[in-house]
Amino acid sequence: MEQQEKLKILADSAKYDASCSSSGSTRKTKDGLGNVALSGICHSFASDGRCISLLKILMTNSCIFDCKYCLNRKSNNIKRAIFTPEEVCEITLNFYRRNYIEGLFLSSGIIKSPDYTMELLIKTITLLRKKYHFGGYIHAKAIPGASESLLQKLGFLVDRLSANIELPTEQGLKLLAPNKSENKVTKIMHYIKTNNSKKYVPAGQSTQMIIGATKESDLEIMEKSETLYKNYQLKRVFYSAYIPVNKDTLLPTLEKPPLKRENRLYQADWLLRFYNFKVKDLLDEKNPNFNILVDPKADWALRHLKEFPKEINKCSYNDLLKIPGIGVKSAKRIFTSRRVFSLTFADLKKMGVVLKRAKYFITCNGKYFMSQNLFCHEFIEKNLVLEEKTPKTIIQEQLRLFNE
Amino acid sequence: MNEACFLYEDTFISLLNLILYLIKNNIKPGNIQNTTYTPNLLDNVISLKIEEKQDAIRTIIECMGPYAYRSIYYVFLSTIEQKELILYYFILNGIKYQEKVMYHRNLRCVQKTITIAKYVLHESHKYKGFLRFKELENHILYAEIEPVNDILYLVSNHFKKRLKNEYWIIKDVKRGILSIYDKKNDYLVSEDDFTLKTTMLSKTEMEMEKLWKIFYNTIGIRERKNDRCRKNFMPKKYWKYMTEMDMEL
Repeated sequence: MEQQEKLKILADSAKYDASCSSSGSTRKTKDGLGNVALSGICHSFASDGRCISLLKILMTNSCIFDCKYCLNRKSNNIKRAIFTPEEVCEITLNFYRRNYIEGLFLSSGIIKSPDYTMELLIKTITLLRKKYHFGGYIHAKAIPGASESLLQKLGFLVDRLSANIELPTEQGLKLLAPNKSENKVTKIMHYIKTNNSKKYVPAGQSTQMIIGATKESDLEIMEKSETLYKNYQLKRVFYSAYIPVNKDTLLPTLEKPPLKRENRLYQADWLLRFYNFKVKDLLDEKNPNFNILVDPKADWALRHLKEFPKEINKCSYNDLLKIPGIGVKSAKRIFTSRRVFSLTFADLKKMGVVLKRAKYFITCNGKYFMSQNLFCHEFIEKNLVLEEKTPKTIIQEQLRLFNE
Repeated sequence: MNEACFLYEDTFISLLNLILYLIKNNIKPGNIQNTTYTPNLLDNVISLKIEEKQDAIRTIIECMGPYAYRSIYYVFLSTIEQKELILYYFILNGIKYQEKVMYHRNLRCVQKTITIAKYVLHESHKYKGFLRFKELENHILYAEIEPVNDILYLVSNHFKKRLKNEYWIIKDVKRGILSIYDKKNDYLVSEDDFTLKTTMLSKTEMEMEKLWKIFYNTIGIRERKNDRCRKNFMPKKYWKYMTEMDMEL
């Protein structure tokens, strides 16, 4: 098979993995080609608006597993291909020299056995690091079920190592991925966490969940994330809106992937990691799903309106973070600047703090941006919904999904 | 008569020395321009002979800290009109408030300095990703860029560390300056003093470009197509020199 066709098949099979970040690694390189950038660098943006940072490919799309949602499942009649380690090296190095990419993201379907597959990945990446002295970023997938000695070997070669949890509950996994078990994935996560160091997986680990292929609520998904962050010190949990690639009676039929829902989950994920929120603040048994009309933070603020409006010049840093529309950067700016002068709405605007949503929830030196009488639930909610420029069609569709 | 317009030599160090001199002697400039400036009839142009002290940079860092210093440098690289005057007022306040000057975002000069510095840094960061090398037949890597700000030096610094065992050339097409790297040092030269021996591409170049385009066109998910999002992150002004975008221009 020609190289071009191989690349096409093996990039096509890899594209459903959401992760493409190249940040967070502090690995030092001595000689040879390439290095890592702590902040990460995006080299292009694909037609779907997602960043292209790494050469994201599978070693092979052959697989002995038969996960219902996966394009590469055993029972699918599709063209199969396999790269040789030398081929992967050649493409990676050539792309890297021309500044197309920040590094390699190598995953694989499972051929013969998990150990065999893992050894193939190790062989390729060893070649890249040791023979070609490649110093760029490498993210590899750990194969569930492979032995610990291989996990150890691979971890010392790469910047990031990850295993996908795929679905938020064990029942979901049993239903759609009968060959996988949560246990196997968490075992990998545990191993990486205990061995993590400047030399072993320096950029940490991440994982991915598919959203909307099974019936789990946002609450169940977020609780899973919270546990994962806590137990395994994950850098990221990625959420991937389910895209129907296979027909199966066990799978839902969707016209479009639930992108708005995915967006809300990411917003909530950020609130957990950087804004000191807990899942129980955002969702509960009565409201197990996020409000599609307003973002999770604004939704929380509307339910806790008694704590608002917050005085921008006095409230604590933690309280600044709770104001809808104010991010970590803005909060820090406000916090440092108000020590040297007292902030007004005009100052905030000048400082680049976006007031679109924040203005409803703050006062500056006791002043509200409009008549204080308007500070009430209905007025704010109505305006927040208007600010979110969600086309009506998407909202209707998503609401329909939720009601099903 | 208009207020005095002071001239500097179009180098960073010359500008810093001029500003420090003006502050030291309590002179308030009406305008500061480099020597290529064509004055109008009403301008009172003054060209001072100031000793170019190399330690002007150290003076600034010691007084205002490295963060403020870097911001000053980035503003110098920008093409904003009257950037010199903004820097004059910024340094004036920097001497007064020292490192805390960065917190005084209610001052126009501080706000401007921070915003412009961010804009310059942002553009240079984007080019670290969007710049594309082509391999010439003599294995030299060659890239062209067309940045708004004068960021060639910043970009070169990045590739000096990344591609340290390669020969490469980056050309700022708009300014006619090239950065040439010989596996040891990088040199900035004007296009008038330098001609490429060959512009023929290497044998594998077309093949690699083809592979890259295949990858680019495969990796996007059709069901998630979002052109607005793509253009937000990758504005069209960068597309001209990007291998994978030539089909869409």
